[in-house]
Amino acid sequence: MARDWQPDFERLVDEHQSMVFSLAWRLTGDRGLAEEIAQDVFLELDRNMTRMESPEHALFWLRRVAMHRAADALRRRHVRGVDLWIEIEENHGAPPEDRCSPLGARVEQLLTTLPEPQRAALVLRYQEDLTPEEIAATLESPLATVKSNLQRGLKLLRAKAETSLKDYVRPGKAMGGALSDG
Amino acid sequence: MSGQARRWEARCPMDEMNEFENKLKQAFLRRPAPPSLKQRILQQRNQRRTEQLHNRTVLWQRLAACFVLAAVIGGGLTWRHIDQQRKGEAARDQVLTALRITNRALNQIQTRLAAHDRDDHE
Repeated sequence: MARDWQPDFERLVDEHQSMVFSLAWRLTGDRGLAEEIAQDVFLELDRNMTRMESPEHALFWLRRVAMHRAADALRRRHVRGVDLWIEIEENHGAPPEDRCSPLGARVEQLLTTLPEPQRAALVLRYQEDLTPEEIAATLESPLATVKSNLQRGLKLLRAKAETSLKDYVRPGKAMGGALSDG
Repeated sequence: MSGQARRWEARCPMDEMNEFENKLKQAFLRRPAPPSLKQRILQQRNQRRTEQLHNRTVLWQRLAACFVLAAVIGGGLTWRHIDQQRKGEAARDQVLTALRITNRALNQIQTRLAAHDRDDHE
């Protein structure tokens, strides 16, 4: 089948730089590292431009590579929750366009304390609005693992939020059936 | 407890969860990329392409140099081989000429000796 779509690198960067950068930042908790990862991901895309078949394929490819690169960077740096907290606290000095809502910033702080697989699943679920099946395909993990990570991550995040984000979260009694799409 | 109340009790945690999930979605809006990110990506891309082009040029130059070197060495070896062949042929011609001269001289001597023997018999 002939391909009608011709990938335009600059356009792809324009469209997806925010997505790649956000994924990397939320997964690593390090703004500088996230910028490096985003650059690497797009340079890798440039090397693989001929393999891109459609805009959806490019988006899927970018998400997958960004997640893998961020996970690799995390493993390399052995970043721990405490370090990430410090890094995110430093964001108060970041340019205004980088600052998110107070709730967003505090949720991100809590997010960095979660184990990496749960964090990855939650970021893809709530930032990218992906279904568990799509997350499983992106992370190349079994669907059951992804669902389990989502449930556990959400539970843990909610438990942490109940203690530290009292202004935003109503205390809940039970946590069941958390995954509307799963 | 009425059935409706039980249903509400059962639905309530789910509603709270949905509310929490909605808040998460709001909190997890994509962050705008730094304005310089695209510029840096394009700059690195151009730099990499320039390096690739340079590397390719260097590679071709090296290949061309190797080709010229191989041609010079091959030409030299061929020339040497032809020269040796030519010298060999010249030497063989000289030997043949010398043999021919020797043969003629021996023939003359043999003719003379034959004539001398004939005179002795007579």
